Order: sequence, then C-alpha cells, then structure tokens
Amino acid sequence: MRYRSQSIAYWYFAIAMCLFGLQLVFGLLSASKYLGPDPLLDFLPFDKTKAIHTNLLIVWVLTGFMGATYYVVPEESRSEIYSVKLAYIQLVAWTLMGVTAVIGYMFGWTAGNKMLEQPFPLKIVIVIVMLMFLYNILMTIRRAGRWTVTEGVLVAGLALAAVLYLPALIEYENYTISIFYRWWTIHLWVEGVWEMIQGGLLAYLLIRLSGADREVMEKWLYVIVGLVFMAGILGTAHHYYWVGVPHYWLPIGGFFSALEPMALLGMAMYAYFAMRRAGFSHPNSLAVHWTIGSAVFTVFGAGLLGFAHTWPSVNKWTHGTLITAMHGHGAFYGAYAMTVLAMISYTLPHLTSDRKVEGNSLGYWAFWMQVMGMFGMTLSFGTAGIGQVYLERILGLGYLDTQLKLQVHFLMLIATASVFAIGAALFIWNFFRTAPRSVAAIDSSTSAPELAPAGHASSAGSG
Amino acid sequence: MTKRQGRLFFIICTLVSATVFIGLTFDSHRRFPGLTNEDKLTPEIIRGKDVWHNSNCINCHTLLGEGGYYAPDLTKITQQRGTPYLTAFLKDPSQFYSEEKHRRLMPNPKLSDAEISEVIAFLDWVGHIDNQGWPPRPIIVSGTTIPGTDVGQPSTHTSVSTDPVAQGEALFRSSPPACSACHSIAPGVNLAGPTLAGLATRAAAIVASPEYKGEAKTSADYIRESITHPSVYLVPGAMYSANNQSFMPDNFATDLEPRQIDSLVAYLETLK
Repeated sequence: MRYRSQSIAYWYFAIAMCLFGLQLVFGLLSASKYLGPDPLLDFLPFDKTKAIHTNLLIVWVLTGFMGATYYVVPEESRSEIYSVKLAYIQLVAWTLMGVTAVIGYMFGWTAGNKMLEQPFPLKIVIVIVMLMFLYNILMTIRRAGRWTVTEGVLVAGLALAAVLYLPALIEYENYTISIFYRWWTIHLWVEGVWEMIQGGLLAYLLIRLSGADREVMEKWLYVIVGLVFMAGILGTAHHYYWVGVPHYWLPIGGFFSALEPMALLGMAMYAYFAMRRAGFSHPNSLAVHWTIGSAVFTVFGAGLLGFAHTWPSVNKWTHGTLITAMHGHGAFYGAYAMTVLAMISYTLPHLTSDRKVEGNSLGYWAFWMQVMGMFGMTLSFGTAGIGQVYLERILGLGYLDTQLKLQVHFLMLIATASVFAIGAALFIWNFFRTAPRSVAAIDSSTSAPELAPAGHASSAGSG
Repeated sequence: MTKRQGRLFFIICTLVSATVFIGLTFDSHRRFPGLTNEDKLTPEIIRGKDVWHNSNCINCHTLLGEGGYYAPDLTKITQQRGTPYLTAFLKDPSQFYSEEKHRRLMPNPKLSDAEISEVIAFLDWVGHIDNQGWPPRPIIVSGTTIPGTDVGQPSTHTSVSTDPVAQGEALFRSSPPACSACHSIAPGVNLAGPTLAGLATRAAAIVASPEYKGEAKTSADYIRESITHPSVYLVPGAMYSANNQSFMPDNFATDLEPRQIDSLVAYLETLK
C-alpha cells in the first residue's frame, strides 16, 4: 500500500463483510422456510427474509465495489484520495441507510418492488451517497491529472450504476411500464455496468497479480466491455418476454442473450491467458484463486446457467420458477461476490498487519467451501426447478402440491448452503483476525518494496 | 489490434446497442396502451397496485412470472377464482390451506375490505394484459389435473375453517368420492368429467339457453341441481353421458348433508 488514504478501503470491506454475514443468516432462514412449517410466520415471513437477503447482497457488493475503488484509484492516479473525511461520512451514511432498510423491512416499511424495495426516502439517501462517492473519486482523478483505462472503466461503471438507479425513483401507474423500467436498473446493472466494474477490477488484479503488460490488458478490457454492452443492453429483452410488451422483444432477447455468454467467456479467457503467461507466480496465490475463480464461476453461473433458460421457447416453461433462483445465485456469486472477495484477498495483506502475503490454510478452506457450497446450491435450485417445470408447468400439478414433492431438493439446498455459510464464516473470521494497519505502519511500508512482480506499474497509460 | 481500435470497438458496440434499445423503447411506449388495456386502468386498480406493493406480495408470489418463487403465480388468478373466493381467502388465508399439509402458509395480509377489492381489481387488470399467451398452460394453485397423483396426501383439513367457500373447496377434494378425482378446475382440462373452470359463467349461460329444461333459475341453483341430480342437464359429449343418464354418481343428494352441499355450491360459484 503506497497511499495512506487507501486504508479507507479496509473500513468499506469490514462493513461489506458484516453485511455479507447478515445476508447469509437471512438466506439460511429463507431456505429453511422452503421446508416449513414456519414458526416465524407472523413475525418474519418469507417475503421479509427474502427481501432482506437480496437487498443485503446489493448493499454489501456495492460497499465492496466502493471500497475497492478507494483502493485502486490512488494507485492508478498516483494520488491520495481527495477527501478522506468525505469517504468516511459517505460510509457512515451508506451503512445507516442499509441498516435502516433492513429494520424497516422487518416492520413492513417497503416499496414492495422486487430488488428495489428501498422506500423512497432511502432511495434518495442512496443517490446522495453515490454522488458523494463519485464526487470524491472524480476530484481525486482531477487533482492528480492522471488516469488509466482500468480505473476509467471502473469509475465509469460506478457512475453509470448511479445513473441507472434514477428510473427506480419514478413511480408508474401501469404495472407493465413499471416492470419495463425496473429492468433498466436491475438488468443493466448486473448484465451491463456491474460487469464493467467487474472488468475494471479484474484488469487491475490481473495487471498486479500476473504482471501482464498494461497496454495489452487495457486493449482487451475495451473489447470485453464492448462485447458486454453489445450483448447486455439488448439482452435486457430477455426480461420482457411475458410482461405485456411488443412481440419483437422475444427474438431480440433470444439472440442477444445467446451472445452474453460469449462476453463472459471472453472475460474468463482474458483472466486465464494473462495468468498463464505469467506462470501464476504472484506470491498471493489466494488472490489468484479468487480472481480466476470469479472469472470461471461467472461463465458457469451467469453465462451457462443464464443461457440455459433464456431462449424464449424454453423460458416460456421455466419463467417464474426456481430455475431463475438457480441462475440468480450462481451469477451474483460468481460475478460480483467473488470479485469483491478477490479484491479483499489481494488487498488484505496490505491493509492489515501480521498477515502472510500467500494467505493461510483458513483462506483456502474459505475459498473451496464457498465455491463447492455455491455449486451445490445452484444444483439444488436447478434440480428443484426442473422438477417444478415438469410437474407444475407440463403435467399440471398444483403449485403447492409440486412444492411438496421438491422437499428433497430443499434439504439438499440447506445442506449445501450450510457448507457455503461455513466457508463464508471462515472468510469473515479470517478478515477480522488481524487488526488494520496503523497509519505509522502504512507510512513505513510506503518505502518497502511492492509485492507484485516487477513491471506491474511500469506502463500506466494516460488514457 | 491496437488499444485505439479496441476503444473504437467498445464505443461503436455501445452506441449501436444503446441507440437500437432506446428506439425500441419509444416504439414500446407507443404500443403499451393497447397491450395493457390502459384505458381500463381505473383509480381503483392503481390503488390496488399500491396494495400489492405495500404488502410486499411480490417477494413470495410471482406476477407475470416475476417475483419470489415461494408462492403461486397470480397472473391469471382472477380467471381461475371468483371475487367471493379471493375476498374470503385474503381475509384469512389460514382458512383455506393447512400449514401442516402444504408446509407453507400465507400470513394474514391484514387488509381492509376496500383494499381487498382494490387488489383483486388490480390482479384482474393484470390478467388481461396481452403477454404473448403466457403461461402456455394454466398454472394452478393446488390440486392436480392428473387423476390419482394426489392419492395418499391427507385432504385439506376442514376443522379450523368456518368460511363456507373454504369448506366447499376442502370438500371438493375429499367428499366421497372426491369431486377433484373427475373434475379439474384448470381451464381446458377435461378428465372423466368436464373441467369446472369458468363454471359460474357457463352455468348462467346454460340456465338462459333454450336447451335447458331444468328447474334452476340462477347459476347457484344450476350448480346445486348438477350435484344432487346430475342427469337433469347433460353436458354434451358421449364421454359424459349415455341414454340420457349422466356418468356422474347420483349419491351426493343423500350422502352429503345440506350444509355440505351449500358450501360446495358456494365454492363452485367462485369458479368464473
């Protein structure tokens, strides 16, 4: 760590870890309700636990993205963050918003719109916090007078994420139009600008971890983000099949969704070839695991499992079943949770004291238990979903009767989710195990040699 | 390829996709009023949408296939269940389903009478949106369209239920023999007996038609008569009757108590 203000990232990651843990508590609670009966029916029914589960995911991943940006931007622009104080005020406001939302949901304070449940006043807080964040980052870059493509892509992704949240502030009387614009936020986030953020962070990690040539990496970063947008923007159509829109969205959705895995495959190849060239030689091999793991799991969870049910003639039968939950878990975890965990694993030896660069066995257990657990969870949802489609949609068994026949899959879900949760708990424990570095330690470390292979900082482009 | 060309590729891809997407969005807006029957969007329906959101329904149910995957899809629910059923259900879901049997239950949404009728109006409006014919075949809440597949499952318990519609539904699935063994409530699914989807609407049309020679004056009368005297009016089709005799058992007039028949009629009347 070369810049003092990079230590802001630690506190963002710490909050992200707490919220990650909380997300899993509500996830396990929701999963147990699939088995039923539910002793908490009157206080904390499924609709509340699920809304909290998904909202915490969005909040902690965004917290992680922001923390990662506070770490990346000083290095890329070679400057301290414009205002450290503003960054902490932003974190406090953001955390208070998150906690208020969770407590609010418990007591029925909700906008009741999937993924955008935040009540209007909290939506305004989110916008203000995002503006504070972008102001701070852009002022840092402006003051430094220097930026790289990697951070440009990262910051542009975050700025666009804020812009795309704006349609969520408007209420529509027509439910179909409301759905139409809900996807402008949700889809264009997760299959558009968040992938841009992921691409930016991946490029940063690969340049650091593999020592790959920055010019080459940033050239391909452009190509990948171009592919993501080409497929992702019109791929929004796959959410429009059955909601009351003109029929031409069906073939458009089918075609561009089929292209989406290509962009993700491109991202995985990008990561793999960069690492292979360098021979996986970086000492922080735990971060290498998470980085490559994220790229590969994205192809599986977002690409393959998404494509499995996105073709209109298939989606006609699978729409609104547990098949979607299968894809949702695999995609969010691979693309976003793992990217943040990769950033944390890479930065942790710099941000905390008394920690070995190469990681410890706890870290590897955390990695493998999470990956295997999540793989099992997607299989559980997938097999449950296939059973549901066949029994309910094709044979015509009632919804409730079908769910009863899926109990074994829900048991499998809880078992694999428990493995995942243990892996996550190990990661969180490992995170908090050692104290953050003091300012004095940071000052002394700035003169110490960097841990990345030589050449990593040799060719920062001017954009 | 140079970095400059890479950037150009990114800019062109993004601009072309975004332009096409925004163009199609404008065109969709032109078509939304027709596809969604916007002219029928009354203040009551809009208030119903608010009830839908405020009660967080979407995090369990799905509507137009979007939502929580934990409870049944409600896109076409008003075409499968009538207003009296849905009203009684929303007042107290525990009267209709047993958590012991289905292992999940809807918590009481605690809605006022006005809110209940508003949310039903909203769901009815959603049910008539032109959504490319989804779902491809009816999604039903409970029961089965395949005879015999619910054998071995305990019937819905009736002991806690005081609502006649709920009691009727329970009886439909359990009366000896269970009505559901021969009659589906899914549209277009004819088992040994014809589907009862849309029964109330059809009954009114039958009573008014010249072919009908029975005593019934209303659809409720007709349904009662069909249970107690199945051969008074014969549904056309050689698979349902022969020699002016319906294949439906005629033991219900004696085997069911009048109160049970009342509740069956109350339930069947809600099948629009």
